[in-house]
Amino acid sequence: MRKTTTLLTTALTCAMALQASCTALAAEDGVLRTAVLYDMTTMDVAKTSDNYLVPMNVFDRLFETRKTEGGNAQIVGSLCTDYQVSEDGLTYDFTLRDGVVFSNGSELTASDVQYTFERLLKAGQENMDIPGEVAGAEQVISKEADTLEGFKVTDDLHFSVTLSNPNAGFTAELSAPAMSIVDAETMEKVKNFGKAPEDTIGSGPYIVTEWKTNDHYTLEYNPKYWGEEPSVKKVIVNVIPDANTQNLMFQNGELDLLDLQSLDTAIVESTYKTMYESQIVSTPKVGLTYLTFNENQEYLKDANVRKAICMAIDVDTIIASLYNGNAIREHGIIPTGIWAHNDQLAGYSYDPDGAKQLLSQAGYKDGEVAFEIAQDSAADSNIKLVCQAISEQLKAVGIKANIKSYDHAAWLDLRNSSKMDSFVAVWGMDYNDPANIMYTFFGNEKNTRQRSLNYPDTATMERVSAARAVMDDTTREQEYQAIEKKLIEADAVWCPLFESLHLYCMGDRVESFTPHWAGFSDFYAADVVLK
Amino acid sequence: MLRNILIRLLQAVLVLLGAALLVFIMLRIIPGNPAAVLMGEHADTAVIEKMTKELGLDQPVHVQLIHYLAGALRGDFGTSYSLGKPVSQLMASAFSNTLILALMASAFAWLVGIISGIIAAVKKNSILDHLFMGVSLLGVSMPVFMAAMVLQFFFSYKLKIFPIAGTQSFAGFILPAVALGWNSAGSVARLVRSTLLEILEEDYIDTARAKGRRQMGVLILHAMRNAMLPVITMMAIQLSGMLSGAVLTETIFSINGIGRLAVQAITGRDIPLLQGTVLFSAALVILGNFLADSLYHVLDPRIRKEA
Repeated sequence: MRKTTTLLTTALTCAMALQASCTALAAEDGVLRTAVLYDMTTMDVAKTSDNYLVPMNVFDRLFETRKTEGGNAQIVGSLCTDYQVSEDGLTYDFTLRDGVVFSNGSELTASDVQYTFERLLKAGQENMDIPGEVAGAEQVISKEADTLEGFKVTDDLHFSVTLSNPNAGFTAELSAPAMSIVDAETMEKVKNFGKAPEDTIGSGPYIVTEWKTNDHYTLEYNPKYWGEEPSVKKVIVNVIPDANTQNLMFQNGELDLLDLQSLDTAIVESTYKTMYESQIVSTPKVGLTYLTFNENQEYLKDANVRKAICMAIDVDTIIASLYNGNAIREHGIIPTGIWAHNDQLAGYSYDPDGAKQLLSQAGYKDGEVAFEIAQDSAADSNIKLVCQAISEQLKAVGIKANIKSYDHAAWLDLRNSSKMDSFVAVWGMDYNDPANIMYTFFGNEKNTRQRSLNYPDTATMERVSAARAVMDDTTREQEYQAIEKKLIEADAVWCPLFESLHLYCMGDRVESFTPHWAGFSDFYAADVVLK
Repeated sequence: MLRNILIRLLQAVLVLLGAALLVFIMLRIIPGNPAAVLMGEHADTAVIEKMTKELGLDQPVHVQLIHYLAGALRGDFGTSYSLGKPVSQLMASAFSNTLILALMASAFAWLVGIISGIIAAVKKNSILDHLFMGVSLLGVSMPVFMAAMVLQFFFSYKLKIFPIAGTQSFAGFILPAVALGWNSAGSVARLVRSTLLEILEEDYIDTARAKGRRQMGVLILHAMRNAMLPVITMMAIQLSGMLSGAVLTETIFSINGIGRLAVQAITGRDIPLLQGTVLFSAALVILGNFLADSLYHVLDPRIRKEA
């Protein structure tokens, strides 16, 4: 009996000690605990376009994209307090905010901005597009020149940028996380920037204080930050590769903010939309899910086939069944949330009989049209289901769309080779300008080839490119919408599907949260207000 | 004995070289450029080509092989493409977690497996025997991920005794160790029971009993020593398997271990990291087998004599 009592007492003591160690993980005041599925690979925007949580919170940009009350976005000055554009749209004169210092205490000057632009070009890896527009960029890339010819520093607070070609969306581009301003002095000293927290020096509201690979990273408030002090003083980002574990952690009070995107939609519907309904924050994930057509493919080169495919896909059913209605039907190229988005664009309605008729009129027998949908094995599970749904719906009108799964590297190789028949993918917008999607896909031959579109109409591509230079917003909007109408309704360049809604759930410690306006999941921690 | 060790060492080197060559060749045969994965979906071909050059993937295969083997001999597996850190450093950091997890899981499996196996054998056909064998069957047949999720749900979410994920505290390792060791405990219990039952029928056991040895003495000194021989082989293989990575357990409980690192390497087509983790796992399997053989020598005088 005594032995049993001793054993029970020991077990109870152990259990209490373990429970105490778990309670020790409870949050302190001002701490926001969140989770991501994958760890970041680097904090350096010159080497990644996948993970922007650190760049967005640790660095500043000349401009920021901020959500307006109506859910739209506007470009607001951040480090830049004033700017002027020349009449030809080529030269921008900027004034920097006075008194901004990096977290190491050194002053942020125009030379740091110049260094940021030139560094992206010299690194020659990610995010070269925007500084690549500045006059003399090619010489810097090819190492013929060390500095950008089009970048002139007047004094510490003033500089001008001259572009090779006019671009009305330039300030919007400068709000992208890719254009995070770095400290030139630190960069010169550091060998492998983006890997060590102590080297990641920015002027933003937070400092990276810890990064334990595949475990967690921590951001803490930067007391030298020039802006308003945020409610969140410390952010702990846990790397939790299993979505269900994240779900349990949130429900157990171990996380304060949960991205519901990776959770099974059944759990979101049954648990979150019932138990946490008032704590869910929903925002459009600004971007487009689309099905591509390779115009070099035997059947897809025929516009009638492409139109028939668009008519044979029941997008509303896909949204209702696979996304539980958490998506917006899209009809064009410029998605909802982008300032030139056209609500009036008719696009294609679901009409399987019309699709069959169109194929028959074009001279195709039932079952003759065939192509392959290349599926990226690394794609989101919902995208894989979308591919299956499309394949089945096309089968119903006599089109064989065979799905073939490729390893991510092989998929990229095939797509870049311009020989991929078709694929379903998502384009997330980086900044609020239609060029971010129009020019990227249809701006020139190289762009359409690289995405296996092989769009042949060079005149339209020239129009897309030229639209970037139209400085009057109204004229530019009209031009983009006219081009979009042609690309979709006349050429059926791709089949637009939907823009998904991004759901987050706030924990009991969170008062409010405003998700960032963009096509990616990262957010500003300063937009979270704790109770 | 020395000759035996030398032969085993030579075999180990050959197996390691074979594994190194196999993974190197396979990674070069499968389609897809790692530089394209590294640069992301939006990188243009010029950028991908530049990165291909920087990674040395444009060099002839034999040059890449020489670099790889020469590095591996020095313990330098290069720098991870995706994580940007030396592979050896990443593996060392992940291995410490995997080692704790594997040792705890093995301790659990062996303790539970051996004790329940002995009780089941001694109390053959009793309720206890049926109970332990039923539970061990459940252990053998239940997938690790399911055991992990069930344990996580009850002990972390419902009872809040253990953390749901992470290894910030020692308590964080307990549930993953039980989940990982559960399956092995079942196998060990069943093997101990069946081996022990056979041995308990042997003449020398009757002799020991006739000499007046107590039941416990017969069991421990005579029966278990022989019954442990196949069990040790199984345990050594189980341990080396656990040490080379428990992907599902590490993923569900968010443990930065070798298994997760290997999966990351595969999905990101991270050649140096993948080569490093494969070689490391191969070395651990060889070590596990070597350990089992050595223990055989210690425990079985017949093998010592043959050697």
